[in-house]
Amino acid sequence: MIAKLKICGMKDPLNIRDAVALKPDYLGFIFYPASKRFIADLDPVVIRQIPLPVKTTGVFVNEELDVVKKAIADYQLKAVQLHGQESPDYCRALSNDAEVIKAFGIDAAFNFASLKPYEDAADYFLFDTQTAEHGGSGKTFSWQLLEQYKMDKPYFLSGGIGPESVASLKQLSDHRLYAIDVNSRFETVPGFKNIEELTKFKNHTMSYFVNEKGYYGDFGGAYIPEMLYPNVEELRENYLKIINDADFQKEFHALLKDYVGRPSPLYLAKRLSARYNANIFLKREDLNHTGAHKINNTIGQILLAERLGKKRIIAETGAGQHGVATATVCALRGLECVIYMGEIDIHRQAPNVARMKMLGATVVSAVSGSKTLKDATNEAMRDWINNPVDTHYIIGSVVGPHPYPDMVSIFQSVISEETKKQLLEQTGNDQPDYVLACVGGGSNAMGMFYHFIDDEKVKLVAVEAAGKGVSSGFSAATTYLGKEGVLHGSRSILMQTADGQVVEPHSVSAGLDYPGIGPQHAHLFKTTRAEYVSITDDESLQAGLLCTQLEGIIPAIESAHALAHLEKMTFTGGENVVVCLSGRGDKDMDTYMKYFGL
Amino acid sequence: MNRINQLFQEKKNNILSIYYTAGYPGLGDTIAIAEALENAGADILEIGFPYSDPVADGPVIQASSKQALDLGMDLNLLFEQLKELRKKVTIPVLLMGYVNPVLQYGVERFCKACAEVGIDGCIVPDLPMVEYEEFYKDTFLENGLSNIFLVTPQTSVDRIHKIDGLSNGFIYLLSSSATTGQNLQVSDQTETYFSRIAAMKLNNPTMIGFGISSKETFDKACRYANGGIIGTAFVKSIAEGDIVENVNAFMQTFRS
Ligand SMILES: Cc1ncc(COP(=O)(O)O)c(C=O)c1O
Repeated sequence: MIAKLKICGMKDPLNIRDAVALKPDYLGFIFYPASKRFIADLDPVVIRQIPLPVKTTGVFVNEELDVVKKAIADYQLKAVQLHGQESPDYCRALSNDAEVIKAFGIDAAFNFASLKPYEDAADYFLFDTQTAEHGGSGKTFSWQLLEQYKMDKPYFLSGGIGPESVASLKQLSDHRLYAIDVNSRFETVPGFKNIEELTKFKNHTMSYFVNEKGYYGDFGGAYIPEMLYPNVEELRENYLKIINDADFQKEFHALLKDYVGRPSPLYLAKRLSARYNANIFLKREDLNHTGAHKINNTIGQILLAERLGKKRIIAETGAGQHGVATATVCALRGLECVIYMGEIDIHRQAPNVARMKMLGATVVSAVSGSKTLKDATNEAMRDWINNPVDTHYIIGSVVGPHPYPDMVSIFQSVISEETKKQLLEQTGNDQPDYVLACVGGGSNAMGMFYHFIDDEKVKLVAVEAAGKGVSSGFSAATTYLGKEGVLHGSRSILMQTADGQVVEPHSVSAGLDYPGIGPQHAHLFKTTRAEYVSITDDESLQAGLLCTQLEGIIPAIESAHALAHLEKMTFTGGENVVVCLSGRGDKDMDTYMKYFGL
Repeated sequence: MNRINQLFQEKKNNILSIYYTAGYPGLGDTIAIAEALENAGADILEIGFPYSDPVADGPVIQASSKQALDLGMDLNLLFEQLKELRKKVTIPVLLMGYVNPVLQYGVERFCKACAEVGIDGCIVPDLPMVEYEEFYKDTFLENGLSNIFLVTPQTSVDRIHKIDGLSNGFIYLLSSSATTGQNLQVSDQTETYFSRIAAMKLNNPTMIGFGISSKETFDKACRYANGGIIGTAFVKSIAEGDIVENVNAFMQTFRS
C-alpha cells in the first residue's frame, strides 16, 4: 500500500515541531472556531516557518472566501481543506492560492455522483466519516462504500484511522488513494499528538515496495537516455502482465523445480547453531544449478524475453556468476547471448569465462573506465542503445531503471517464499527472528527479505563488503560510504566523489564489488527497516573457512560475508536465524587457497 | 528571449552546432575552443561536462571525458572557466552532461551558475521527462535555460508531441538509436522517420545529431531539419596540435 500521510488538528507549538520532524506530507490546522482543535491564537509564525516538503494545510468550514484567502496569505498555507458545503466555484476561486482538498462526509446514503461538479474544481477529494460536526468523530466509515467511487481523482482517506488500522489499510489496493489523514486516534488530548505512535504508523503506511511511478520512497525511477526509453517502457508495460500469467508461472516453476533443483533446502546448521547459541538455518541457494541464486532471475527473464519476442540476450557480469547463469538459460532456450565483462574481471575469473564460452556465449571485454563490473554494465547499456528492437538486457541484480529492481526481486522472492514454508514445517513458526544476506546489488538479499518485509517482527540484516576496511579507501560498503545519486538508471545510494563521479569499489568477492545498491535497499536503509552492516575481506574469508570446517559447506565468499556477521551478533538462545547462502565457493577456490596457503 | 530562440528566429537552415568536452584536450582549453569555433562559423556550442559513466557515449567521447576528469575537470572548475565565456563568445552555448554531477552540485545552484555565466540551455540525456516536468522545469525556466530533449526513431508520436510541448529551444533528433560516434547512414527508414517528424509541424525547431561527421552527412541532416550537430568527429580532430589551427581546418569543410 502506498500513500502519503497527513497529520491533522495540530495546535501546540512544541508538538508541531515534533510532528514536522516526522516529515508528513501534509500538516493540518483547523481554522473552524467550533472545533476542539481550533488553532485559536496560535502565532502565525509557527505555521509560516514550517519548511517544504511538509505542506501546511488550513481546514475551513463554510468560511467567507476572503477570510480563507487572508489566512492563506497570513499563514502561507500550501493547501486548504474545505469541510463544509463549499461550492465548486468556491473551490475554483482558491485554486490559484493553494492546493484545494474538498472533503465529503461518507455514509451509506452518500451519492458519489454528486462529486462530478467538483472534478475539475478541486485538486483532491477527502473522504471522511459523515457526522453532524463536520468530521473529527474518531470513527471510521465502511471503506467498502468506496467501491461506488468511479472517478479518477485521487483522494485522502480520513476518519478514525488509528494505529490499529494498519492491517486493514494494507488491504486497500486503490491507485487513487493518495493520502491517509490521521487525527484524533493519535492524540493524548485533543490537538496534542502522540509522536511515537505516529512514527510507527508512518513507517507502516509508507510501503517498502515500489509505487506506480517506479519509486521506493525517494529512490528508484528510470534515469535513462531517450534511446533506452522504448525498451524500458515496453518492459514496464508488460512485466507484471507476463509474470502473473498462469502459463508463465507454470513454466517458470517447472524450470525452477526440474532444471534448477528447487526448492533449495533450508538446513539447520547444528554446529554453527551451537557456536552462536541460536538456531542457524542456511538457505541453500548454493545447491542451485550453476551454483548461486542468480539463476532464479535469469530463468524468469529469459521466459519474459521470449514472450516479448526478443532474439538476442545481453548481460553484464562481475564475478561471472550472472554471466554463467545467463549463458546457461540462453543455451537452454537457444538464444544468442553476449556477455559484457570488465577486462580485469576476465583475468580474475578465468574459469567462469571458459564456462560462458563453452555454453556458447560471446564474452566481450569492457575496456572503458575502471574495466570492472560497473563498466561492464555501461557497455551492456550501450549495446542495448544500439540494438533497440530485438535485444533483451538481463540485468543481474535489483539495480537498473524501473521495472528491473521490482522484476528481479519478484523472481528472487522464491527464496523467502520457500523459507517461510520450510520454517513452518521445521519449527512450527514461519516467522524467524532474523534473516541475513549479503548485498552486492542486492538481489539475493531482496529475495531473502521479500516475504518478510512487511512483518516488522522479523529483523532484516543486509551485509555489505567492507573490503580492507570502511576507511581504507578499498571498500564496497555502499550505505556507509555512499551518498544519494543516480547510477545505471536509478536513484539510489552510491559511492561517489563530491563532484558526482562514481568511485571504484573494492572487495575480495567480485560479486560484491559494486559501487551502488538497488533502490529498494536504499529505501530499506533510509527507513531503517533493514539494518546495513559491513564485513571485511579477512572476516569473510575466516567465516568461509569456519562454515566449511563446521558444516562441510564451502560457501561463496559473497555468502561468507553474511555468515561472518553472526560473529558480531549476540543471541539469548532459541532465536531462529536464517542466513542466505547465496552461492557455493568453487569459483573462489583460488582466493581461499592463496589466503590460507592451502 | 534567450540566444537559442533568437538564433532560430534569424536563421532557419544550415545551423551548425558543435559539441566538445570541457577540459579536453587540455584542462584550460575550454574557452579557447569556444572562441575559435565562433570565429570559424559555428552557430551553437555544446560544452560537455565529463562524467565517469557516460552510457550514451561511444569510445571517442568517453575517452575525452576520462582525460578531462583525470586532468581535474569538474563543475566548479568549469563554471570558474566559463566566467570568461561571454567576454569572448556571443553565440548560444549549451551545457551537456549526465544527471548525477548536476544532482551533487545541486540543481538550483547549477541553474543559477549557468545563468550567471551566460549559458542558454542544457542537454541532460539521462534526466527523464517526468522528473524534469515535476522537479526541474520551474528552476530551468526561472534561470532562462532551455532544456533540450532527444528524440529517436523509436520515440512514439504522442511522446514527441509531449516533448515538443515541454521544449523551449530546439529538439535533438537522433539519426538512429545509437551511442555517439556512429556514422549517419540515411536509409529509407531514416528518411521516412525524418520526413515523419518534419510533417508533424512541431513548435520547436529540430537539429539532427549523432553520426554526423562530414560535409555530406551534415548537408543530409540540413535537408530534414534546421541543422546538424557534430560531436565525435570534432573531438577527434582536436586531439593533438594547435587548437585554433585544428578548429579552422575542421570548420573549413563545413563553412566554405
Ligand atoms: C554467490 C553470490 N552471492 C551474492 C552476489 C551479489 O549479488 P546480489 O547482491 O545481487 O545478490 C553474487 C554476485 O555475483 C554472487 O555470485
